[in-house]
Amino acid sequence: MGIVPSSVVLTSFQVMSRVFLIWAVTHSVKEVQSEDSVLLFVIAWTITEIIRYSFYTFSLLNHLPYLIKWARYTLFIVLYPMGVSGELLTIYAALPFVRQAGLYSISLPNKYNFSFDYHAFLILIMISYIPIFPQLYFHMIHQRRKILSHTEEHKKFE
Amino acid sequence: MKHYEVEILDAKIREKLCFLDKVEPHATIAEIKNLFTKTHPQWYPARQSLRLDPKGKSLKDEDVLQKLPVGTTATLYFRDLGAQISWVTVFLTEYAGPLFIYLLFYFRVPFIYGHKYDFTSSRHTVVHLACICHSFHYVKRLLETLFVHRFSHGTMPLRNIFKNCTYYWGFAAWMAYYINHPLYTPPTYGAQQVKLALAIFVICQLGNFSIHMALRDLRPAGSKTRKIPYPTKNPFTWLFLLVSCPNYTYEVGSWIGFAIMTQCLPVALFSLVGFTQMTIWAKGKHRSYLKEFRDYPPLRMPIIPFLL
Repeated sequence: MGIVPSSVVLTSFQVMSRVFLIWAVTHSVKEVQSEDSVLLFVIAWTITEIIRYSFYTFSLLNHLPYLIKWARYTLFIVLYPMGVSGELLTIYAALPFVRQAGLYSISLPNKYNFSFDYHAFLILIMISYIPIFPQLYFHMIHQRRKILSHTEEHKKFE
Repeated sequence: MKHYEVEILDAKIREKLCFLDKVEPHATIAEIKNLFTKTHPQWYPARQSLRLDPKGKSLKDEDVLQKLPVGTTATLYFRDLGAQISWVTVFLTEYAGPLFIYLLFYFRVPFIYGHKYDFTSSRHTVVHLACICHSFHYVKRLLETLFVHRFSHGTMPLRNIFKNCTYYWGFAAWMAYYINHPLYTPPTYGAQQVKLALAIFVICQLGNFSIHMALRDLRPAGSKTRKIPYPTKNPFTWLFLLVSCPNYTYEVGSWIGFAIMTQCLPVALFSLVGFTQMTIWAKGKHRSYLKEFRDYPPLRMPIIPFLL
């Protein structure tokens, strides 16, 4: 909507993946709700979002403390892998229960001539982290280099 | 006769790429592109976009130099469109795939279903009918590509062939898998449902073909003229009274027919995705018609009569 400069596609993707983790995995498979991995990604997401939204708010008010900018473009180095680990471990923990209950799965024969194996789908999702995570991570590293060095130069000229 | 000078600059970095002197005033952009290729052979004409303004629209191949708003020294800006591939090549490849792939599943080639089903045949009539319809559809498309369609553009970006083939070949494999599966369930309402669906399919195929022929007749061979399409004596073309792109209307209809015939959810999903894409194209085409022709019939909608 143009209020902040983030890409709509990238952000929608992130929102969708978060909603998927919460609804389609953690909520749907009650047995994983007590796993430590859930705590891991919830903490990572929470800290990330607090910093991110502070960043946007201060930017819009044209008064961005360097600390917030630094935090946004530095803490992800730890928080991102932390979140991803939590997510992957949670999905992995959910697998046996999904298989056992045949959750969200439909097999042949049926009158819609369609089949879906949620267990296999979750495995595919886990595999998709392999190409996707490095791309997003190195994009942030690249952004960090661009934005934090830019500020240093500005400071030099003051 | 006064000759023109043409200099070609890169649109992004404004670097001078080429200087042509003694260019005929009635030279076309196409001819200038050919001259440019001589000094930069890696940029064949199809991947050149030449424009008067670095951020402006591309000039057309038919535009004549002296008719452009330039002085006797013309400055053109060049943008590389990337590797190109001909429309005909893309269409033939993307349509040949589904034809072939569906048959692999129909004949139950090994390693698709369990080994005890290898090369067996379905006992349901509708499965054989579906194979005929699907194959007919893609054979029709291939023949139309070779003998009917008159393309406005010669080429499209190379990456499109990967995108398009993934879409067509992927969906073809997905629906063929279920329709030809040993555990396939025939339609709930039996022969009645199949007969009705087949009628819809055939009518829409005939309709789609009629529209393709009517559009072809609007444009002489080798030209790129654009005219408002109108209904002809062929009743299938009377849909032009209500929609701008009845070819898309009939195409959606064909796939809905096929979905009802096979009662297969992946077919319905394929129809939905196709419908979405064709609606986007139809709206674009409709908008172009409205912009180009003052007297465009107001009753027409892009793809669905009265609705969309």
